[in-house]
Amino acid sequence: MSEVRKTYKMYVGNSFVRSESGRTYSIELSSEIIELPQASRKDVRDAVSQAKKGYESWSSLSPYNRAQILYRLSEMIEGRKASYIELLKESGIKNNEAKKDIDEAIEILIWYAGITDKWEQLSGNLNPVAGSYFNISHQEPLGVIFIFPRDTVSLKSLLLSLLPPLSVGCSSISLSKTAGALAVMLAEDLNNSDLPLGVWNILTGSYSNIIEDISKHVEIKGIGVNMDFDNKDFTIIQSNASESVKRTFRMNERLNLLSLHPFLETKTVWHPKGK
Amino acid sequence: MVEKWAYSESIESSDIVNLEKKYGHFINGSFVSPKSKKYFDTVSPSTEELLSKVSFGGKQDVDNAVSSAKEGFKVWKKIKPVERSKYLFKIARLIQERSREFAVLESMDGGKPIREARDVDLPQVAANFFYFAGWADKLDLSWSNSKFKPYGVAGQIIPWNFPLLMLAWKVAPALATGNSVVLKPAETTSLTALMFAEICSEAALPEGVFNLVTGNGETGSYLVNHKDVDKIAFTGSTGVGKQIQASLAGTGKGLTLELGGKAANIVYEDASIDQAVEGVVNGIFFNQGHVCCAGSRLLVQESIHDKFIEKLERRMQQLRVGNPLDKNTDIGAINSKQQLEKITELVESGVNDGGSIFQTECELPANGFWFKPTLFTNVQPAHRVTREEIFGPVLTTITFRTPDEAVEIANNTEYGLSAGIWSEKGSKVLWTADRLDAGVIWSNTFNKFDPSSPFGGYKESGFGREGGRHGLLSYLKEDR
Repeated sequence: MSEVRKTYKMYVGNSFVRSESGRTYSIELSSEIIELPQASRKDVRDAVSQAKKGYESWSSLSPYNRAQILYRLSEMIEGRKASYIELLKESGIKNNEAKKDIDEAIEILIWYAGITDKWEQLSGNLNPVAGSYFNISHQEPLGVIFIFPRDTVSLKSLLLSLLPPLSVGCSSISLSKTAGALAVMLAEDLNNSDLPLGVWNILTGSYSNIIEDISKHVEIKGIGVNMDFDNKDFTIIQSNASESVKRTFRMNERLNLLSLHPFLETKTVWHPKGK
Repeated sequence: MVEKWAYSESIESSDIVNLEKKYGHFINGSFVSPKSKKYFDTVSPSTEELLSKVSFGGKQDVDNAVSSAKEGFKVWKKIKPVERSKYLFKIARLIQERSREFAVLESMDGGKPIREARDVDLPQVAANFFYFAGWADKLDLSWSNSKFKPYGVAGQIIPWNFPLLMLAWKVAPALATGNSVVLKPAETTSLTALMFAEICSEAALPEGVFNLVTGNGETGSYLVNHKDVDKIAFTGSTGVGKQIQASLAGTGKGLTLELGGKAANIVYEDASIDQAVEGVVNGIFFNQGHVCCAGSRLLVQESIHDKFIEKLERRMQQLRVGNPLDKNTDIGAINSKQQLEKITELVESGVNDGGSIFQTECELPANGFWFKPTLFTNVQPAHRVTREEIFGPVLTTITFRTPDEAVEIANNTEYGLSAGIWSEKGSKVLWTADRLDAGVIWSNTFNKFDPSSPFGGYKESGFGREGGRHGLLSYLKEDR
């Protein structure tokens, strides 16, 4: 009896979708060649409209609630650890390295799940102004974020790029090519983690035909790229971003407060004190 | 019509200010003649009299300033942080000592009322140096476990509305964090920056740590595009900000932008009305409305509209427009002819679009650049006067019925610098503040500033913060 093969689809608005263009690209695993959707301009636009809805609901959840949902994702990944390790091995990674990658990925997830209700205490503060005023600076999420994670087959690396915006209440869209199958596997666990519609969207394929649309889209409020992202392409992104003063940055891919900072806006509120 | 109270003139003497006939750039610790060999006039906008001549910074001048700053950085980054701190404290003290002289010059060169220069700009300038002085030796305490390093040479371009205060907002944190500076002040208001350079000499600040090149937009673009500048901080229009952002694409240089605004000032029906009138007046007419965070869009709840506008017009009529050096003056001169033309053109468009205009009855001086305090009612959200930044003493009014509607109108702009909320109901104030897309929100107050209070925009009003702990991040890189 022959095995049932999985169809790899992108994850947009909590649905698994093929590319509207019908185009695909292939990844060679050790036991088979798989086809993944090549995201088109229309797919980007669809993802943005879903992510806008996602931002509304995700940013209005309590930080406690967001923490529980991200923690739930770690439970889902833990349960499918063997499948992840198998996929990494199929991609040519040694068994012990694959195991280490998934273990560390889960640790990163635990770190970010736990910071959702703490970062604001660390990055906001009362300001000691000279005068009888209550003056506080706190942070708000930027909005819809597009992420270009490192394109290596590593769940650890993928989560290091994707979790910072989500842990502060942004919604996100990401694009992975070489790591496309892994990103899709992650999407299957996202789908089981009670994430509201459109919060976390995963596209697959190359960015060469969609980079202009991504960087010019005014509803995308920030674009984060990995540390080693090609500088020529980052120049295109930054140049187009200037048309709407869009925030662009290289993500530090670390576990610290500064990894979150690019995804936040600081709001300072004044109020007089008096009798 | 309400009569103005009669006041006798009370003119601040300008004798305290001794201006040179012409000024060079300040590079490597001394004043030098421009390599461009060109000078331009700087005039008093209230009299159109020539005050002095200022050097035009050409490419060679900027090159020289940047290489001086590069050398300055090598010295500055090795100095013990506590020593950096001492220099900045000393600068703060020297500014306090010469505060009156600075205030008079600021008023003469920029046109702002002496009362504001004396009571707002100068105290804030000194406070900024004092505040950031204390951060210099505590940077690693500022953001949890993060380790930092300075960018290197910071190129800073500042506007003409608060010339010395914008210098302080830029220079104090840049130096505290260990960067060296090349500053380019606005074309029409270089004089107090030049006087600040004297202060740096008096404080024996190491050569090359602070450099000053005067000039126009061309000078600024040499600075922005210089390969040895590691960080650009710009305050000015959104249009120029976008150009700078585009030209820095892919260079890896740091960038912070503090751009335009079109702030909503929301007055709910349960506000303390007289207080709100005062706040709205201060929000738009402070500094002739040459304020990026000015409350230029009055959003007033429909139920109190007529009463509010009546009181507002009455209050506006009390505003004294005239000689900036008169201590009674509320509204000084428009900063330049060019700016006056821009304001005039936008106000004409408001009238042509069908807005109802109210201007106070007052006599304007014969020379200089002036604009009467102006209020528009019956305007639509699509009109240019309600969308574009006027940067002058012009207020537009729109009504709303519900808090949701107020928030929607307030956020219906590409800008997001500041906003105001007037209500005596705490829960409503906080509800509204949470929903406004703006970096600074004044509730039951307006146009308050403090060095410890972060300032900066959402959306197309720019990114990065100035002031406070958050302001340090504008001049620091993570040490990897």
